[in-house]
Amino acid sequence: MQRTLAIAWLTWKAAFRFRLFLVISSLLLVSVVALPLVIKDDGTARGFTQILLTYTLGTITVLLGLSTLWLACGTLARDIEDCQIQVVATKPIARWQIWVGKWIGLMSLNAALLAISGAGVYGLLTWRAARLPANQQAVLRNEVLVARGSAHERSYDNDIRQETEKLLRERLEKGPADRVDLAEVRRQIREQVRAEIENVRPGAYRPWEINLGLARHYLKDQPLYVRVKFNSAERSPSGTFEALWQFGVPEKTEVYRPGPMSLAPDTFHEFVIPPNLFDENGVLTIVFVNPNNSTLLFPLADGMEVLYREGGFTLNFIRGLGIIFCWMALLCSIGLAAASLLSFPVAAFFALGLLTMTLASGTMASAVEQGTIAEFNSETSTRGSSPADILVIPAFKGALAIINLAKSFSPVDSLSTGRSITWAQLGAAFFQIVGVLGGGFSLAGIWILHRRELAVAQGTQ
Amino acid sequence: MNSRFKKIILVVLAGVMLVVSSRVQVLLNRARNDLGLTRVEPLENAPPVLAFTTVALGGFRGLISNILWIRANDLQEQDKFFEMAQLADWITKLEPHFVQVWLVQSWNMAYNISVKFKDYPDRWRWVERGISLLRDQGLVYNPNEILIYRELAWFFQHKMGQNLDDANMLYKQVWANQMSEVFGKKTPNLDELIHPQTQDQTNRARLLEEHYKMNPAFMKEVDERYGPLEWRLPEAHAIYWAALGLQKARENPSKIKQDDLITLRRVIYQSMQMSFQRGRLVTNPFAKRFEFGPNLAIIPKVSAAYEQAAEEDKATHDHILRAHRNIIRDAIYYLYTHARVSDANYWWKYMAEKYPEKAVLDSRPETLPAKMTMEGYVVARVQEDVSETMSRDRMKAIIEGLLVNSYTSLAIGEDERAAGYKLLARQALTTYVSKTKDRGEAIQMSSFDEINREVFNRMIDPVEGVPAEMRAVLRTLTGLPAETPGGTNAPPGVAAPERAGT
Repeated sequence: MQRTLAIAWLTWKAAFRFRLFLVISSLLLVSVVALPLVIKDDGTARGFTQILLTYTLGTITVLLGLSTLWLACGTLARDIEDCQIQVVATKPIARWQIWVGKWIGLMSLNAALLAISGAGVYGLLTWRAARLPANQQAVLRNEVLVARGSAHERSYDNDIRQETEKLLRERLEKGPADRVDLAEVRRQIREQVRAEIENVRPGAYRPWEINLGLARHYLKDQPLYVRVKFNSAERSPSGTFEALWQFGVPEKTEVYRPGPMSLAPDTFHEFVIPPNLFDENGVLTIVFVNPNNSTLLFPLADGMEVLYREGGFTLNFIRGLGIIFCWMALLCSIGLAAASLLSFPVAAFFALGLLTMTLASGTMASAVEQGTIAEFNSETSTRGSSPADILVIPAFKGALAIINLAKSFSPVDSLSTGRSITWAQLGAAFFQIVGVLGGGFSLAGIWILHRRELAVAQGTQ
Repeated sequence: MNSRFKKIILVVLAGVMLVVSSRVQVLLNRARNDLGLTRVEPLENAPPVLAFTTVALGGFRGLISNILWIRANDLQEQDKFFEMAQLADWITKLEPHFVQVWLVQSWNMAYNISVKFKDYPDRWRWVERGISLLRDQGLVYNPNEILIYRELAWFFQHKMGQNLDDANMLYKQVWANQMSEVFGKKTPNLDELIHPQTQDQTNRARLLEEHYKMNPAFMKEVDERYGPLEWRLPEAHAIYWAALGLQKARENPSKIKQDDLITLRRVIYQSMQMSFQRGRLVTNPFAKRFEFGPNLAIIPKVSAAYEQAAEEDKATHDHILRAHRNIIRDAIYYLYTHARVSDANYWWKYMAEKYPEKAVLDSRPETLPAKMTMEGYVVARVQEDVSETMSRDRMKAIIEGLLVNSYTSLAIGEDERAAGYKLLARQALTTYVSKTKDRGEAIQMSSFDEINREVFNRMIDPVEGVPAEMRAVLRTLTGLPAETPGGTNAPPGVAAPERAGT
């Protein structure tokens, strides 16, 4: 371990010798301080805090990510190219210890930089929040600078499956001709059954029972936030629909009926409801009445959600930084692995190429969803097909599965919307990003470095 | 020559060349504009950062703008709007002369994003931001682009003026409050803003010119040409920006498309029509809000504007004349129901001369002007309106008119007729309320008692009300004390009498 730490210490010394630490930390702090002066917000304290969190943390991630990748490629590749590695490798130290030492050195550097810039963001946020009027501070405390958990309605998957099979059997008994395309008939029936649950017809109502679980024990006297979204096949002249709500059950819990709301379709609406509307089992009953002339559809996935305070912002912020740190660890592994085999410019190019591919995964996801890489024909509203689909689509699927191990976390998004980042999520991020992905690259890098002939004549000399 | 001296010489030389090149650049910009060498005008009035960005990025500006645009779309789909102002700012600044960019971004804010919010003040912030983007920035970089003037005018006319958005009453209220700060919480007086005499007037003139980017002298010109307009209402501002667009078009005739001019003129005459129907602002101290009434004074100018538009726009000539005929029919009806029978008679004759072959009632082809009396037409219209109209402004005008007739009849001793008018007014409101109850606040109307009180107080107002004799009769008949010298109005809270009504 001592040998590994010695290499890490050498990496730190190099970072200071080349004033790298000073430059990066200055850049990070300048971006944290300067961004609030130049960004345009939506005019609310909430909006300003959200954009500040998004832009500062985004800038930190980009700056640190690029510097990590660059340093990781440079520190090992340059050592090999300049033959300095030969001096180190002849000492009583294993190749893997050199590799791991570099990784630890870079990551401890990252940890320090992330801590400095994170503290800067946190300090700036709390300082600005403290200068706001009390009501604005309350909004921030309840909606942004908070860790909010969420509760949904129970899953209807089983009910939909059973009802679909039952209706399918009945239809098959009536009309055997449907057997020709059983999968399509089943899909159609499933959509109908789902629509029965999601649709609220004109004049009708729809109840939701949302179990807050164990959270009910600490949510007494605390306001809750309801987040709803609905779709409509028809447009209203005003662009909005009227919504009537009831929260709670008469004669069982306290009841809250806000006035009619004018809500736009296809968008999320969040509003606060008073405390103590759930029953002794923690079940909050919500009823929506549709007074419009159009059917409204509340998607099962995200049509209704209840948000509640789960914890404070500080720990949530630290966990968010933890996930960003995991990303840095992965980039560090990628950079070092590339530098174990390639020269500095090629390694940097390779690592940036991988990063670009990750950022472009939306295109891959779209191709996988469509089942082809062929272009979409807007005139016929159809897609063509390509002979390469047989190879490319499975490759895209595989790449997406790997990329999503790292991309499925969004700490900046969660922090800016006041969503909770749980310890479990942080643990999962560490396992998936650092353990699985980073571990894979690290093992490959160590193995390559172990097998590589370090004393071969270098082209750059 | 030592190296330090050489460096100083080089720095000075660089400074001189920079100054000279900036002078030459002005000449080059003028020459390339005069010779038509580039389609895009050189960037003027831009802050240093923007000027540097546009030059340094060159052709890559479009690429970056596209990336930002894609991000803005993605965020909008996810209902994340807190970055929109920043992204719109960057996108427009990267393409400051691309007019469509300004139009789309401002439209997106004022129309698409605003309605995503359930709270009306939140909606107003986005509508205001859309207006501000065009007025405060778009016009700075593109002072001669009449499409921007048209869009700005449209926001005032349609988004704020009409009642399609449920929050339209809040928009009007907030705008009226903002304009009250400019006009000093009294009837707008443009002269005092053109030639301010006091510090307060100077401050208000500066607020108008610097914040709202409006020129009081041009406002007066617009008011004289199209008014009198109520400058606390959005329609007046729609007319102002459209008129300014037309003026810019006259100054730059080579850069203007005929269709754009027609659109600007359309905004003007349509806004004038709205001003006619509900262009009078009435403060309701009881409900602490503004009410609207018809502005009958601008009927001749509205009619003239439509006739001129029909003359200039050959493609839609017939449509405009149809609209013109409808306005005259409305004018006759409103004037009659506001007891201005001689004015109503003038427009009845005017319509009979101009449209002798057109039926005055849509559902009855036999009702040609020559075969019908004006009174018969008005009675038929009341029946038609009460059973069909869904427009708050129109219905409010009808009810007010019926109440004016009721009190006029009462004053001249026609008690039965007075009671009939009042009954009709109450029935009209009941019918309207029952037909529009599912629209909620968007087209909500005051209660019958409130409208009744407002009309009565207006009639007995010594300054703006009916003649003194009639006021005295009305006061006596309704049990009010005699008017005191110097009194301005009935005391607040005086209930309108019920003698003539139900």
